[in-house]
Amino acid sequence: MTENQTETESNTDESASRPLELGGLAGTFGTTDHKNIGKLYIFFGLTGGLLSLVLHFLVRIERINIGGTSILDFGSSNQYFQTWSLSRTSLLFFCVVPLILGLATYIVPLQVGAPSIAFPRAAAGAFWAWLIGIAMHVVTVFADGGLGVPEPVTQFAQGMDPEATELAILSIAMVVIAILLASITLITTIITQRSQGMTLFELPLFSWSTLVATGIWILTLPIWLGNLMIAWVDFKGDDALRYGNVANIWDQVSWLWSQPMIFAFAIPILGIAGEIIPVSANQSQRQYVFQQIGIGTLGVLSFGAFAQPFFNADVGNQAVFVGMGLIVVLPIVAFFGGLLDTLAKGTPKISAQLILALMSMLSLLVAAGISALHVSGPALGAIQEIDSDWLGGIIDWLKDLQGTVIITAVMEHTLIASILASIAGLYYWSPKIFGIRLNNNVGILTGLSIFGGLVLSGGSNLLNGFLDESESVYMTNAYEGVWDQGAVEFFNIIGLIGSILLVGGISLAILDLTVSVILGKGDTQDAGDPWNGHTLEWATESPPSSGNFSEPPIVDSERPLFTSGGIEQ
Amino acid sequence: MNLRTTDLPVAPPVRARTSLVATWFAIAAMLMYFAGVFGVYLKERAQVRAEGSSWLPNKVTIELTQPGMVIWTLLISIVVMQWAVYSIKRDDRQHALLAIGTTLVMGAMVIVQTAWHLSQTNLVADEGPTTAATLIYTIVGSYLVAIVIGMIILLLIGFRTLAGQYGSQQTDGVVAASLYWYSLVFIYFIIWIAVFIAK
Repeated sequence: MTENQTETESNTDESASRPLELGGLAGTFGTTDHKNIGKLYIFFGLTGGLLSLVLHFLVRIERINIGGTSILDFGSSNQYFQTWSLSRTSLLFFCVVPLILGLATYIVPLQVGAPSIAFPRAAAGAFWAWLIGIAMHVVTVFADGGLGVPEPVTQFAQGMDPEATELAILSIAMVVIAILLASITLITTIITQRSQGMTLFELPLFSWSTLVATGIWILTLPIWLGNLMIAWVDFKGDDALRYGNVANIWDQVSWLWSQPMIFAFAIPILGIAGEIIPVSANQSQRQYVFQQIGIGTLGVLSFGAFAQPFFNADVGNQAVFVGMGLIVVLPIVAFFGGLLDTLAKGTPKISAQLILALMSMLSLLVAAGISALHVSGPALGAIQEIDSDWLGGIIDWLKDLQGTVIITAVMEHTLIASILASIAGLYYWSPKIFGIRLNNNVGILTGLSIFGGLVLSGGSNLLNGFLDESESVYMTNAYEGVWDQGAVEFFNIIGLIGSILLVGGISLAILDLTVSVILGKGDTQDAGDPWNGHTLEWATESPPSSGNFSEPPIVDSERPLFTSGGIEQ
Repeated sequence: MNLRTTDLPVAPPVRARTSLVATWFAIAAMLMYFAGVFGVYLKERAQVRAEGSSWLPNKVTIELTQPGMVIWTLLISIVVMQWAVYSIKRDDRQHALLAIGTTLVMGAMVIVQTAWHLSQTNLVADEGPTTAATLIYTIVGSYLVAIVIGMIILLLIGFRTLAGQYGSQQTDGVVAASLYWYSLVFIYFIIWIAVFIAK
């Protein structure tokens, strides 16, 4: 056999093992490459983020006049509720989850040294099902559907169309099934497709956090799906009795946006920060296993499927709920402390991703702190020996926090922290994903805008929680009994300014992505590995070609590119 | 004689058991789904009974004949599905296909018996909808959907077996389908006890 013959056969084998790559629309719609699927998630996740934050802004406008007429003339409190509930569903399902899934779908197979994601067609199917589901859900809300209405005059109240409501329930169920499918492909990739030499304890922190997060989602989201199905079956009946009654639908599913469940969507924050901060400090992460334990502990403490107030009205006073609310802050403190220790011992380079990662960790820490405050009333009340008037007064005051917008403050801090972390990940991995570096200054400005917006919006919700503003801001009687109507309105104006900053921040991120990537103005110099990354995704070209690695890598460390001799190809 | 490791035959490459791992997670998700709806069912039932009311409307009759037949059908299907796994591990595709086909028929029998049983219970006919009826329809309806998914998987695995994709060297697909099927039997066992027997 001649040398030329060998070369020809080798090329034939190589081309046969690679998937057929199509260009244009066929390439976009028919792609099963995890990198393209990841980019699609990121693109639509940012778009969904803009939609959700605009809706958040509209709700904020309405909240500045709490006792009077509707400012935006929603038509009815039901339509106001639909805008409010869509702002929540969209923030979680159309923004935070797809941004996390997008980064994970792109980066995790590279980090574990896999040539592809497990079940690439299922991963692609999950993306398209998710996209169709969210599109249908948004349309149903604009067609007077949504997840019920709070104040029905009749079963089919004003501002409520039964068929659109039914489709809203089914479309969001489709979104959840898609997320479950995507989670299964990711967790299977991590477990079965790791490089030779990479044990679970040598997984990069982002992949580890994805493993924990998707594991928790697989165990909890089906329970939420069960709630939806019960509501749908009842709603389909001739006369919805309880679960499908439009006044009850939201109450059954709202536990997903409350503690402790909301922290399940914050687990990847730790993973992203855990990648960015040691690389920025040019240090390997000390006590690596303890960092993994921290992420795992947050996962366990975010298992919130049991905390469903609709079926268990007293859950807010029960020991497990209160205990989880109190100690959820501990793994976050320990993890953040570990990162700051690494940062302090290294030589940090200030960059957009570092600032965004620090802001996201700080926001999550505040969320956990507010969560502890939220349950501190029942916790202190459980101590029967307290025999003090003033202390008893404080306990009563803390107990009154339950059911107020302080729950919104926890949700807002957690989900906006996830957005900050996702944008941090986008700036960090943009050379890998797009082959260009996003604009560092715009990134810093994006972080400052979103973080500033969170401080104002989340902070005003925290303060209004102390003033007894009800979480159900859409109810006509929501403001009966607030301590000081003027103060509540003032803080809501502050919150409105915060929501403008939030919209501005995410718009800046989209603008930077558009200018740098789509218009091609980004910095392509040194895009291969500009940060001297530690993990395996930086061991291949940027962006990686089909198959990811020319040879299956063999590793013997959690940071193979940082430790000498950590990788063989 | 000193035997060096290089003298030994090369070990077969470690096969990533991707299908099996994914199936375990899919089963976990399905079990959590049913755990959630069962949780609601039992909680609501306990609450109604604690108030001294009857959980099922008075005219509802839940006969145990059909659920009994379903549980026996499913128990036999475990043996039949294990027969498929046994056969494929021995490259006996003919018997593997026969077993998969028989399991498919048993799945269809479960659907027919369960649907007919629901139509006979009189859950909503006389007293209109009740919370009990809603939850029973949700649980049993979801179960029927899970059975249909299982049958689609079996059909797919059957075609792939026919095409020669599975054999003694690659049994993952058939084993994964059997695991899913066993989990369906387990779930029906809970339905049988919690919904039909305990009423």
